[in-house]
Amino acid sequence: MMNARRASWLDRGAVFIGPLALLAAWAWVTRRTSPEGAQTLVSPGQVVSAVGELLANGQLLHHLRQSPVRLAAGFGCGAGLGLLFGLLMGLSRTADEVCGPLFNAVRQVPSIAFIPMMILIFGIEETFKIVVVAKAAFYPVALAASDGVRNIPRGWIEVGRVYGLRGLALCRCILLPAMLPGLVTGVRIALGRSWTVLVAAEIIASESGLGQMMEMGRQTMRQDVVLVGVFLTGVFGFLLDRSMRVAERRLARWRTA
Amino acid sequence: MSARAWRDRARRVALGATLPLALLGLWQLASRGGPGAAYAFVPLREVGAGFVEVARSGELRFNALSTLREAFTGLLLGSLAGVVFGAALGLSRVADRLLGPLYHGLRQVPLMGLVPLIGLWFGNGAGAKLVVVSLAAFYPVALATAEGLRQVERTHLELARALVLGRRDTLRLVLLPSAAPFIVTGILQALAFTWIASVGSELLFSATSGLGGFMSLAQAAGRMDLVIVAVASIAVLGGLMNAAVMRLGRRAQRWRHAT
Repeated sequence: MMNARRASWLDRGAVFIGPLALLAAWAWVTRRTSPEGAQTLVSPGQVVSAVGELLANGQLLHHLRQSPVRLAAGFGCGAGLGLLFGLLMGLSRTADEVCGPLFNAVRQVPSIAFIPMMILIFGIEETFKIVVVAKAAFYPVALAASDGVRNIPRGWIEVGRVYGLRGLALCRCILLPAMLPGLVTGVRIALGRSWTVLVAAEIIASESGLGQMMEMGRQTMRQDVVLVGVFLTGVFGFLLDRSMRVAERRLARWRTA
Repeated sequence: MSARAWRDRARRVALGATLPLALLGLWQLASRGGPGAAYAFVPLREVGAGFVEVARSGELRFNALSTLREAFTGLLLGSLAGVVFGAALGLSRVADRLLGPLYHGLRQVPLMGLVPLIGLWFGNGAGAKLVVVSLAAFYPVALATAEGLRQVERTHLELARALVLGRRDTLRLVLLPSAAPFIVTGILQALAFTWIASVGSELLFSATSGLGGFMSLAQAAGRMDLVIVAVASIAVLGGLMNAAVMRLGRRAQRWRHAT
């Protein structure tokens, strides 16, 4: 009884204890250290006031607006092409045999390692970032789509046929629902990778975006600005991941039902 | 092998080679489009010459070894920390409730997004890179260890209790052996992450050594041929490691089914 009550208290409250303890320790450490020490770690208060400063001069909104726009453009292209390509590879054996080897060879190159090459081809403007993000988004979606098509049990399609489903109706009622959960997982992974690669690309060469904000903060030794950036990149990544996980659970519901 | 199998194989190789060869041909065509195009789309002959140049001078081997060393050092340090941290999460409910949310929260920050912060704290050198690479291994190994310890069969734990094993013996004889395949799989998977993180951190920390550093120097000098050589080396080494990991991983799984 005692144990159960303790456990439920732990369950509910403890989620906040870890982060709060870290925050408290951070505040305590920065208060104790001398001014020279304060440069290795800024205080939570300084980070909060940096947010105010960046909001007041409009920089934060400027950077915050640019990154999602790039992410949407690159991810949209990459995931869309990945979906088409994956379906093609899953449906046609010839397409798989023609494209498979190149597909797997390029897959061995981490997206981030493409950045110098893309800079040389497209320059340091927007295009190279969008292409690199698209590459990062392409692979997980393409793999999920082709696996999704291949792994549909033949029996399901036959059942659909028995019920007189053909063509589009077969796609809508059998193929799509069967593929969707896996596809959403692929999209979630693709979003995470796209976001990481975009931040890296912005750190390497950009005029705006969260990555660039952090890089400028580093160069000007403004640790508070860097921490604001780290926090916002984390929160944004978390929100992307969480929203896709919710979608995954929704779409997989029919499986257990 | 029968004649038919040979024919089938030849057909697949031919089909698989079509697209790469066509793309190489297009690349070669693009390189003839004038001096501007030849800057980005260097003729294939130059790529070959560039490869021979850096292979002969030992530059390629030196940089590849340096990146490999970094990836494996980071794998070692990150895995050690990950096993210890993951064991704490997996064995103690209190630690899991207190540190778990923090761990999952921090994991959301893209690793490369931590580079500016780590740069401020640890400078621009080898130490900072090692922190990034170790973190790349730490997250998955901690997750795999915690998961492995949680999936220990209840009957095994009950048996341990029946035999009145102490905490230490339970850990040594029951918990660790049954979590080991998970941990091994986690470490093997982490290798791919540390490889990417090594190349990425070399690019981001304006390093001068390693394949990433070599690549960013080549980019700054406008040497597309050397950039391509570096990208190809990264792909080949990464592919070899992935293949090795797959084989070892299957072995780890087999061991698990055998016990």
